[in-house]
Order: sequence, then C-alpha cells, then structure tokens
Amino acid sequence: MSQLREPAFDRAVALVLRIGAFSCFFVMLAGLIAAPFVTGQIPGEIERVGVLLMLATPVVRVIVACFLFFWEKDWKYGWISLGVLVILMLGSVFGLGEH
Amino acid sequence: MVTALLVILGFLAGLLGALTGIGGGVLLTPILALHFGIPIRQAIGTSLVAVITTSAASSSVHLQRHTTDIRLGMTLELATALGAAVMAYLVGYFNRNALEGLFAAFLLYSAITILTKGRKGEPVGEESTHAANETSIPPYEPKRYPLGLAASLVAGALSGLLGIGGGPIKVPVMYIFMKVPLMVATATSNFMIGVTAAASAIVYYRRGDILVQVAAPLAVGVFVGSLLGARMAPRINTKIVVYLLVGVMFYLAGHLILHLLRGWL
Repeated sequence: MSQLREPAFDRAVALVLRIGAFSCFFVMLAGLIAAPFVTGQIPGEIERVGVLLMLATPVVRVIVACFLFFWEKDWKYGWISLGVLVILMLGSVFGLGEH
Repeated sequence: MVTALLVILGFLAGLLGALTGIGGGVLLTPILALHFGIPIRQAIGTSLVAVITTSAASSSVHLQRHTTDIRLGMTLELATALGAAVMAYLVGYFNRNALEGLFAAFLLYSAITILTKGRKGEPVGEESTHAANETSIPPYEPKRYPLGLAASLVAGALSGLLGIGGGPIKVPVMYIFMKVPLMVATATSNFMIGVTAAASAIVYYRRGDILVQVAAPLAVGVFVGSLLGARMAPRINTKIVVYLLVGVMFYLAGHLILHLLRGWL
C-alpha cells in the first residue's frame, strides 16, 4: 500500500516551500536589479537576505512537517522530523566554529 | 555580463534538475570551478544554494500533485541530513579520490541497470503517463529501509563533499532497491534534496564558503528553470526522463573518472 494521498498535508508543506522559494526569488531579483543603479553594499545585502531566506526554507519546511505530524498524533514521523531538525541545527553550530 | 551568464546557467541546471530529480549541482559545481575560476570549496557551497532552490521550486509542484511520499522522504532525510552535515564539516580532511571512485562506479551501475530495465519495458513503460493524474501511481510499499538509509547517508555525505543534491543516488535506490515507482522516487528525491543540501549549505555559509554575488543570479535562473521543468514533467514520456537521468549519470561518472585520472597522471 502506498504512503501517498494526504492532500491537506501535502498542500501545507507545498505552501511553505512555495512561499519560501518565491520570497527568495523576488528578494534576490530585487538585489540583482538594484545592483546597476544603487551604489554601495545595499544590493549585495539584499542578495544576502535572499540567500539566507533560501537556506531557511528547508528548515521551516521540516518544522512545519514536524508540527503537522505531532498534530496528527503520528508520533513516529513526528520524532523523525524532530531528529532531522536537530541535525540541521547542529550543522549551524558546527559551521560557526570554522570561520 | 557574468551575472546574465550565471542566470542562464542556473536556468538550464534548474530545468534539468526538475525533470530528472537531481539538484542541478552536478552541473553547477564543475562549471563554476572550471569556467568561472571559483575555488572548488566555494563552488560547492555556492551550488548548494542553487540545489536548494531547485528542490523548493519543483517539489512544491510535485507535492500539489501528491506524487511525493513525505513519510519516506522524512525517514531518509534523517540519514541524508546527517551525512551532509558531518561531511560538510569534515570536508578537506577526507580522501576525495576513494569516494569519487565509489560514486562513479555506483552511478555507472545504476545507469546501466535503469537502461536495461527500460529497454525490457518492465516498470518504466508502465509509468509513462504520470504525475498530473494521481491514480496513475500503482500501490506500493517501500522495501529495504536499512539499505535505503545507508544509501541516503552516502548520498548526504556526497552532497556535503561535492555540492550535489544526491538525487543520482536517491532516485535509483528508491526505484530499484526500495521498489518505489519512478515518479514517486523522483518527486520524493526532489523533496529530500532541499534538506540534504541545506544541512551542508548551513555549514558552508557559516564558514564563508558561499559567494552571495554568484549564488543570487544562479538561484534566480534555477528558480525559473525548476518551475518550468516541474510543469513540463507530466507532459514528457517517462522514458525521456529516464534517459535524461541516465545521461546525467554518465556525465557525472565520466567527470569523476576524468578527475581521478587527472589526479593520478
């Protein structure tokens, strides 16, 4: 039996990804368009915000999936999602020490 | 001019990435390093941003079609995220040649196996009309989770090491060994790639190995290419997607073998 067919769950996760991807796209596009017209570091900083939003999008997707699994009392996959989230957070801590 | 080139490069990588279930990093990392003169570690980190973009854009489309197995994806993400984060941290300390050799061998084996099955008309032909029609996905139960988790750990490690999404490993493993339909395997791989790449990209970013001025135009192109590719996917015969995937696998394997040979000669 397939594990598919949860339209509401799929739609919620898809919405997170869509909002994240579109936000990043428009922020980065704004930075690219601003670059020839605006001097200084503003365009670069706008692009940086876009990149950071992109890095955060999968993390937010995991948080939402984790919440939805626990909400549905699907404990097994809730804990699995939480495990993925912890790994992502640890990656941030590991990277910090290498600058 | 360079910005425009990066946007075009991102568009092409995003298009192919969405059609084949790979992240596009397999193309971007070597091109950034070879043609834009970016140091390999920064090329890897920068291409990871584009890989996340491909995944976010295309997997949202796959999710709306209900072709993504979220539970399978989350389970395997546990291994890919761990492999990616650890390898991104350890990159530079490992012997890349051995891993690249293993990766090339695995890709060649998987590509040949998929081609052989496709020619026999076994599962590939049955899945030729896909995606938009939910009912076209046959009932299935993923098998061999331990093998899937082990392969995902390797895929994640290679993502952290080479700046790829790991799709060329995840798709064949889910399709061939876990008996997941190809369309579901491709969609689930796309879904997982974002988290896999993010796990290592976070480490690369904190280390200063992501070039924002390169990543932004790439990501803009990748976003448009990915959305287009994800929308084209249902209208394309599965065999074409399979051949694209196999073509990318051969390309990547050849690239790795050449890289190894250059190191030895």
